[in-house]
Amino acid sequence: MNKAVSQSGRLIGQGMVRVDADGKVRGLTRYLNDIDYTGMLHGVVVRSPVARGRFKALVPDPAFDWSSVVVATAEDIPGENVVHMHDRTMPLLAEVGGELLYRGEPVAVVAAKTIELATEAAAHLRVEVEELPPLLTLQDAIAIFKKTPVKFDSMQDQDIVKGDLAKGFAAADDIIEAEYWAGHQEQLYIENQGFTVFPLADGSILCEGSLQCPYFPVHELNDPLQLPPEKIRVRQTPVGGAFGGKEEYPTMLIGYAALPALKSGKPVKITYDRHEDILFTPKRHPVWVRYKTGVKKDGTLTALECDFILDGGAYLTISDVVMFRGILHCALAYRCDNLIIRGRVARTHSFPCGAFRGFGAPQAIWGMESHIDAIAARLGKPPHTYRRQLHVRPGDVTPTGQILSKENGSTACLDLALQHAKFAQKRRQASRGKLRKGQTKYYGIGLSFFAHGAAFTGDGEAKFKAKGRMELALLDDGKPGVNIRVSSTEMGQGVHTIFTQIASDALALDPARIRFPMADTGLVPNSGPTVASRTTMVVGNVVYRASQDLKDQMESFASQRYFRGAKTVLKNSQFAAKSRRPLSFAKVARDMLTEHGPVNGFFEFKLPPDAKWDQVTFKGDSYPGYSWSANIAEVEIDPLTCELAVTRVTAVLDVGRVINPILAAGQVEGGLTQALGYAIMEKMGTGQNGLYDASRLQTYIIPTSLDTPIYDVKFVEYPYSFAPPGGKGLGELPMDGLAPAIANAVESAIGKRLRTIPITPEDLFAALHPAQGDNTP
Amino acid sequence: MSTITRTWKVNGKPIKVRAPAGRRLLDYLRDDLGLIGAKEGCGEGECGACTVLIDNEPMVSCIVPVGQLADGTEILTIEGVEKKRAGRLLQQAYLECGAVQCGFCIPGMIISSYALLPKNPKPPTQAIRPPLSGNLCRCTG
Ligand code: FES
Ligand code: FES
Repeated sequence: MNKAVSQSGRLIGQGMVRVDADGKVRGLTRYLNDIDYTGMLHGVVVRSPVARGRFKALVPDPAFDWSSVVVATAEDIPGENVVHMHDRTMPLLAEVGGELLYRGEPVAVVAAKTIELATEAAAHLRVEVEELPPLLTLQDAIAIFKKTPVKFDSMQDQDIVKGDLAKGFAAADDIIEAEYWAGHQEQLYIENQGFTVFPLADGSILCEGSLQCPYFPVHELNDPLQLPPEKIRVRQTPVGGAFGGKEEYPTMLIGYAALPALKSGKPVKITYDRHEDILFTPKRHPVWVRYKTGVKKDGTLTALECDFILDGGAYLTISDVVMFRGILHCALAYRCDNLIIRGRVARTHSFPCGAFRGFGAPQAIWGMESHIDAIAARLGKPPHTYRRQLHVRPGDVTPTGQILSKENGSTACLDLALQHAKFAQKRRQASRGKLRKGQTKYYGIGLSFFAHGAAFTGDGEAKFKAKGRMELALLDDGKPGVNIRVSSTEMGQGVHTIFTQIASDALALDPARIRFPMADTGLVPNSGPTVASRTTMVVGNVVYRASQDLKDQMESFASQRYFRGAKTVLKNSQFAAKSRRPLSFAKVARDMLTEHGPVNGFFEFKLPPDAKWDQVTFKGDSYPGYSWSANIAEVEIDPLTCELAVTRVTAVLDVGRVINPILAAGQVEGGLTQALGYAIMEKMGTGQNGLYDASRLQTYIIPTSLDTPIYDVKFVEYPYSFAPPGGKGLGELPMDGLAPAIANAVESAIGKRLRTIPITPEDLFAALHPAQGDNTP
Repeated sequence: MSTITRTWKVNGKPIKVRAPAGRRLLDYLRDDLGLIGAKEGCGEGECGACTVLIDNEPMVSCIVPVGQLADGTEILTIEGVEKKRAGRLLQQAYLECGAVQCGFCIPGMIISSYALLPKNPKPPTQAIRPPLSGNLCRCTG
């Protein structure tokens, strides 16, 4: 059914139909729970019943028949009881005698033939604890931070300093200060988390499931499982959405399933149902951010002081890096010579927060883009004119001292969005708290402008050296073709398709002869995790270069073998040398495989040699490249019900070279929709019992087709020329800035600024009727 | 629990059903008939990933006990959609418009869209929104 675009050499920039869509529209794609694993056991995780307490004992009910049940506890961990993420503090399973640090912390894993039996057995294990008083929420932590800063427990600190802050404030005519809050957000991939672990005869394990980063478990579980990396093989199954939620967490699931698997010698599968998945997997970090800014009358930002504090939960896991990305985005988009940004990760007795699309940047941009509007209002300048005045452009210097290259389409995004949405004109219709003639609802329009750093922070990519391989092979149809061997995972974002496009162009080969098999650490080199808006930019470049390498090898083979050394070119799936009859790709490939054995093109990613970064002072080039965007939201608020509808969103983005405009637009609309939920619908906090207070789809409400506005998405292209084909990262940008655009639109509609998201009808009611509840200035 | 014996038509084929009355239709389709196209996203009737057509009406099969379905019930799942011309065209439209990302919601989404067509063969965008609002898609919104 899939009509693949047949011409080669011209696919980049085309809306090629997804290579994986056929199976998906026909219901043939087999996700983890669609695979039949006969003979496996089902695992169920037993958890701490309290948010904090001393773990006294795990007591099996003597009346229960345990004969066909496998129970794994910390005592069954072959090695050191630690999961090695960014620090070495978190145990795989809590140990008797130790302290339980969050509600739901795993204490044991029970496995049995059926999920029903395993669940029943788990209910017959009593977790004895002595409760201790917990610190549950970011609000509690911030109260301590404000009152007795020495008692504030931060798991990681990092500052960014530029210029002289005191001098900057001294030069200011006015000082504007405000605080902004945001709560948890759940990724809510529609396919829940799950993994199957097979113990193999040689003592190794094979792990199959839904994840983004196949090499994470390979390196993070060596110590507890006492298995070297080559004995932990991880294979991706089709991923039914991830959004960061399947970044670091699958390591835990594999660890949990591996224990009863190794103990029993049988494969063990753990899959969560929706309730368990919402309650016991990581969320977006709640944030508290305070900006204090000094401005001159003409609008110059002379000083910026920012405290950015995330709720990390009970263990650090990867929160340090989330905070780093946050502080790097706190003041990225505007000119300011004197600033201090202080990032902290608060420890609370709640489930460790983790990766979610945007990774700290949405939290930072939420605060900054609200605050810039507030500054503009104080100055009496329209928000768009002020942003046009203050925004950074090529040649400007970022908070870490990076000079922005010409490859930053900041101005183009801002100007095109303003023009396209008719911002200035429509802004005159804004209600500002009073219905205008003809209006039955408050109307408002709001703007946000921001960047997203593509790829790992600082010199991360230089150190990591993403590797990839293009493998000449016989494909599933028995004919020769090329396999893309990288560890990037397809999770809906379209990497299987765009890498096929990139490989097809770089090889000059028909895309029908290219396959991208599911990532499997037994077969793919480590090209890194599928995160950080790095895939198109970094791994796309690896695929491009490795394809060129393969092409070179095949051309020289063909030249020697058939054309007596004459210059030979692979073009349109044929090898041609001057005044010779061209040879088909298939023929040359077959001969080469027969005569050479395995044939592979390789590449290893490098950063430009002049890129500099200091991980201690946070000075230098904080990201290899930046994507840019301006979002404009239009809202209507019902004066009676306070219902808030976002009616139209204009988004202009510079993501560098757009590889597939149809997929790109789809990804942008999906990201904007998640951001819409973050802004006005998705409300979740830590309840007094230590559990998230929204734990089902009945209570955690995400946008549906009834809530999505009209989207107007446009791209401007400022490619990253160092790494062809020049993408700069698209995945996270659409999640970053819609919330503040909506909050700014709400301000323009009702004349009041709301500083906490999500903005619910209750909040709007309180803002419109301050007598009944006064939570806005 | 009592066991039911019924005859349904699933994707046009007569099927003899023997199952506990309380078995969820979703499990029966996936485990007993091997029709894995319908997915479980929540098990609580909220996400729409398990949507199938029961006598031409889209229903969330995770909350339908098989005992509720009488003899002669006609069920259409994603596996049966492509046997119909309108179904094939719809699948093609999903492909070409880039409506598919991770794909997990797509079988349910296509079933709900398919159910809409006889009632409204050329629906304007605004008319599509309400009938699809029971199908959550986290990728494209
Ligand atoms: S699985 Fe049936 S509605 Fe979600
Ligand atoms: S395509 Fe992923 S949930 Fe719809």
